[in-house]
Amino acid sequence: MSNWLNGAVARAESVSDWLAPKRQASLALLREAQWPTRKTEAWKYIPINVWDRTELQSDAVEVNAVAESIEGLNSIDLVFVNGELTSDLNDELPAGLSIVSLADASADAQSWAAETFASVKPSRHLFGLVNDVLATQGVLIDVAAEAVIEQPIRIVNVLTQDSEAHTRVLVRLGQNAKASVVEQFCGNQRSKNTGFAEYKVGESARLEHYRFALQTGESLSIGGSHFELATRAELNSTLVGFGSTLQRVDVDVTHAGEHAFAKLNAIYLLDGKELFDLHSTIEHAVPHGTTEENVRGIVADNSRAVFNGRIHIHRDAQKTLAELNNRNLLMSDRAEIDTKPELEIYADDVRCAHGATIAEIDKTALYYLQSRGVSRSQAQIMLNFGFINELVDEMPNDVLAEWLRPQLRDRFAAMEVK
Amino acid sequence: MLSIKNLHASVEEKNILKGLELEIKPGEVHAIMGPNGAGKSTLGYVLTGRDGYSVEQGSAELDGVDLLELEAEERARAGLFLAFQYPVEIPGVSNLEFLKASVDAVREARGEEALSSKDFLKMAREASKQVNLPADFLKRGVNEGFSGGEKKRNEILQMLLLKPKLCILDESDSGLDIDALQVVAEGVNSQRSPDRSFIVVTHYQRLLDYIKPDFVHVLADGKIVKSGDYSLAHELESQGYAWLKDQPADEAATNDVAEG
Repeated sequence: MSNWLNGAVARAESVSDWLAPKRQASLALLREAQWPTRKTEAWKYIPINVWDRTELQSDAVEVNAVAESIEGLNSIDLVFVNGELTSDLNDELPAGLSIVSLADASADAQSWAAETFASVKPSRHLFGLVNDVLATQGVLIDVAAEAVIEQPIRIVNVLTQDSEAHTRVLVRLGQNAKASVVEQFCGNQRSKNTGFAEYKVGESARLEHYRFALQTGESLSIGGSHFELATRAELNSTLVGFGSTLQRVDVDVTHAGEHAFAKLNAIYLLDGKELFDLHSTIEHAVPHGTTEENVRGIVADNSRAVFNGRIHIHRDAQKTLAELNNRNLLMSDRAEIDTKPELEIYADDVRCAHGATIAEIDKTALYYLQSRGVSRSQAQIMLNFGFINELVDEMPNDVLAEWLRPQLRDRFAAMEVK
Repeated sequence: MLSIKNLHASVEEKNILKGLELEIKPGEVHAIMGPNGAGKSTLGYVLTGRDGYSVEQGSAELDGVDLLELEAEERARAGLFLAFQYPVEIPGVSNLEFLKASVDAVREARGEEALSSKDFLKMAREASKQVNLPADFLKRGVNEGFSGGEKKRNEILQMLLLKPKLCILDESDSGLDIDALQVVAEGVNSQRSPDRSFIVVTHYQRLLDYIKPDFVHVLADGKIVKSGDYSLAHELESQGYAWLKDQPADEAATNDVAEG
C-alpha cells in the first residue's frame, strides 16, 4: 500500500460539497484499490513508486505564477495555478456558452455536471478515482444545442515548485453544437498533479480537442481526457506530450451513438531520462462508428515511452471502421519504447487495422539532405520534425500549430543521436 | 576540376570500382555510359560520401581538395552535386524548407551572405518555373507524391539553386517522356559555363542528343574501358555492349589512359 494514497483517502474524508454522493462512491472504490506494482499491467513499464517516494515541501509553494496567452488564438482562458482557479469567470461569454467554477456552481450546472461526473471516465483508473475524491477545483463547460462557439476555450494548469493539485473539467456539448477545448499543462519543477476531463459530445455535435501535456523536468503528472460520443458526433483530438519524471495520460473514447467519428492524433517527444505513458481505449459499443488513431513518438537518450492502444469492438458494433497506428523513432540505443496496439473484435462485419513500428532515423533521407550541404545534426532535426510535423499539419487550428512548432523545434534541437 | 586516380571502392564487401581513372577540366561535359552493374551509380555515391561505400584505394580531388576525407555535407559545400536516380521522398519536410536549408548551408560555406526569406522565395519560384514545376510543389513535402519526372525536375531545380562546380546526373533521363527530358536537358545546358563541369550518367544516347558531351566514356566492371568523343555514344547505341566481352579489360584500360 502507499502512504501517499492513505493520506489522500484521509484527506478525501473531509471533502464535502454538492458532488458528495459521487465522491463517496469513488472513495469506496479507492479504499478497495491496490497500489500498482510492476505486476500491474496498466503500470508495467512506468515506476509509479516515484509518486509515493517524492516528498513535497508544502511550505515552499510559490503562487505568483502566470500563464502566457497564446498570441492570435483569441481564446477564453481559464487558468489554474497549483489547482486554484485564478481567472475571473464573470466576463461576458458568447451566446450559448456557460462556464462556471466547480467550486461555485449554480444549481443548473450542478444538475448536469453531477450526472456527468465519473460517468464518462472509466472507474478503472486509480488516479482518476483520486481525482474524483480530491478535485474540488475545476470548471463546468456547457455548450447549448445548436451553439457554434468560435473562440477556443483554453484551460491552463500551471504547477510550481512543491505544489500538489487536482483539477477536474466537465464539458457538455448539446445537439449540433460546436466547440474547441484546449487543455494545457505546464511547469518543470517538482510537483504532483492529476488533471482529468470528461466530455459528453451530443448528437451531431463537433468537438475539437487538444491536450498539451507539456510538463517537463521533475513534475509528476497523471491525468486523462475521456469522451463519450452520441449519434453522429465528431471528435478531433490532438495530444502532445513531453516527458518528465512521470507523465501518464489516458485517452478513452466511447462510441455510444451510431455513426460517430473519432480522429485521435498523438505525439510524444522525450529526451534525457524522461518518461511518458499514453494509454488509450476506444470502445465501439454500437454499429457504424469510425475511429482513426495515429500516434507518433520520438524517444532520445535514456528516455522511455509507453503506448498502449486498445480498440474494443463490441458484438453489436457491426460496420465499425477502426485504424490504430503507432510509429516511433528511436534516437539512441538506451532509449526504450514499449508499444502494444490491441484490437479486440467481437463483431464479424468490421474493417480494422492496427500496427506499430519502431525505427531508427532514415539513413537514406539523412544522406540525401547531407548531399545538399545540410549538416548531419540539422538534417536529423529536419527529419524528426518532418516525422512529427505531419500530425501537427493535421491540427485544425493553425494558430495552435504555429504556437507549437517552435516549441517542438527547440526540443528537437536539444536531442541528438547517440 | 575533378581528378580521380585508381579508385577502388566496395559496398557490402563487394568490389564495384576497380581502378577507375577520370580527369575532368573546368567547363567540360563528360558522359558515362555502360551496362547495368558496371558501377555507374556507385561512382556518384562514392564521390558524394554515402554511408556504406568504402574506398579501398585511390584518390578523388575536386580542385585539389581531397573529397574522400570530407563528410557528405562538406563535399556538397565544396561544390559537388549529385542529381539522384531515385530522389528520396521526405514527408513532413517541405520542399521549400529543405531548399532554403541547403542553399543557406552552401552559401555560408562560400562566404556569401544569407538570403532573406523573401529573396529566396523569389529565386525558388523562378527556378521552379524554369524546370516547369508548379510553384505549389515548393510547399509540398520533399518529393512527396511527385511523379518520376517531377522528382527528376526537382533535382534539376536544386542544381539551379545550389550552383555547384561539378554536377553528376545519375540517369536523370530514366523514366522521362520527351518533354520532361527536354526540361532536364535545358536545365543542364542553361548551367553550362567555363567554370562548371558535368558528369552525365546515362544508358541512352537520347539525352546526349540534347546535352552534347565533350567526352563519352564506357564504364564496365568498375573501370573506364573506352573513351571517345560524342560519336562514341552513337556507336554504343547501335552496337550495344556485347563487344566488351571480346575485349580484354587491361587493353581497354590502356586505351583509356592513352586517350585521356
